[in-house]
Amino acid sequence: MSEDIKVDKVMDLKGMPCPMPIVKVSKGIKDVEVGQVIEAITTDPGALADFPAWAKTSGNEILKTDQQEDLIKFYIERKA
Amino acid sequence: MDQKTRDELLKLFQGKLNEAMKFYLETCTRCGVCTEACHVYASMGQIKYIAAYRHEIVRRIYKKYFKGRGKIWPSVGEARELSEMALEELYEAAYSCTGCRRCMVYCPFGIDTQMIMSIAKLLLIGAHTEPEILTLLADTSVEKGKSLELFKEGFLTGIKNLEKEVVKKWKIEAGETAIPVDVDGADLLYVALAGAHSIVPAAAIFNAAGENWTLSFFEAVNFGAFVGDPTKTKLILDRIVKEAKRLKVKEVCICECGTAFRVMKQLSGKQPFEVSSITEVHSRYLREGRIKVDKSKFKEPITYHDPCQIARNGGVIDEPRYILNRLSDDFREMSPEPKYNWCCGGGGGLVALGEDNLDFRMKSAKVKADQVQETGAKILTTACENCHTQLSDLNSHYEMGVEVKFLSSMVADALMQ
Repeated sequence: MSEDIKVDKVMDLKGMPCPMPIVKVSKGIKDVEVGQVIEAITTDPGALADFPAWAKTSGNEILKTDQQEDLIKFYIERKA
Repeated sequence: MDQKTRDELLKLFQGKLNEAMKFYLETCTRCGVCTEACHVYASMGQIKYIAAYRHEIVRRIYKKYFKGRGKIWPSVGEARELSEMALEELYEAAYSCTGCRRCMVYCPFGIDTQMIMSIAKLLLIGAHTEPEILTLLADTSVEKGKSLELFKEGFLTGIKNLEKEVVKKWKIEAGETAIPVDVDGADLLYVALAGAHSIVPAAAIFNAAGENWTLSFFEAVNFGAFVGDPTKTKLILDRIVKEAKRLKVKEVCICECGTAFRVMKQLSGKQPFEVSSITEVHSRYLREGRIKVDKSKFKEPITYHDPCQIARNGGVIDEPRYILNRLSDDFREMSPEPKYNWCCGGGGGLVALGEDNLDFRMKSAKVKADQVQETGAKILTTACENCHTQLSDLNSHYEMGVEVKFLSSMVADALMQ
């Protein structure tokens, strides 16, 4: 968990086939209230481009991207 | 449904009425040959899943608004009003059809159910009743094309992190790049999916073959085609076409994704590059001796699922068999033959709908599970991401006891340095 962001829901999307990370996060974001944050953990290198494009399209906001050796964590605030 | 909405939907309908479509809508004699052709009907036995029944839902609306007899005397002309209820039936017909076109092979007139269902999908988009997630996925792809500069840096960082995995599969010389990106003048542009499994094995094989290649910034899959939106299909396709032209490549190689391959191969028009599936490229490398594989790597019997959009609808049938006969002495064909192969049950956007339709996907593909098990194979390989996901789900659901693998991963794992 990121130290400065309160996470309301964690989604483990590691190793999922295309397009499941985006499908799951699209559904998962609806499980939290507007203003709450989900932490989405993925291993897809393409997610670094896909998630920002999805956020822009869906009207949500990526607060922070934490890229580790083999993991990518997105902190996404539900805006809409 | 108000008149304004109906008029707008009928304009969309009219836009689909080219000569081929009119032929499909006016020719069916209800001979019934297509009855057993659909995997959904064969598995579930409900009349609504017969191809001719699906056609009829669209055809009756066509008769009502576009044929004289249906307009004047609808009850005799078997005409049907375009209503909210009709939209529900169109949804059921379109999103229980995977667009595999097995029925078309059986039909004496070659009626293309996928084409007819494209009317249903377009009307659903017009009425805003299409699956929301498919439109969101299509819009995300379009957005990436519009704002590449915003996403480029993140993508490059992710790709850089994968390079060590590529080198584990195939060592490269000092100074070489394991995953080249944005290489002007490369011979081959490889269009992958977002996951490492779509990039790492392919990169190792390109490097082993000494290919002058470069990785695309864009994912191959075309969600515009899944949702049946011609405008978005073209926008998503054009991102890759523009990139290929900018880099002046001679060949665009599409990863293991059936829809991506068929859309690029059949809808991109005349271009200054060839379009290949990755299976064709790997087969070529083996034929030309550019790569060698270790036949002792896989000891269990292997069978191959032909992805509908790559084999029946894309013509790539011999190439995977050439590869498999070099990977194994125990490759077992499924029956019936590839042209009549059963669909996995996950195409047409159904897998992308996720768990919402998992129960339907499992029940409707029972014939596929049986077909695989009849081979006695222990490894089930395929060359499409959608099929791989669906076959993995079937494997769990029906306890098939096989290992589901991507064909490209098997080639990469068997590479001889």
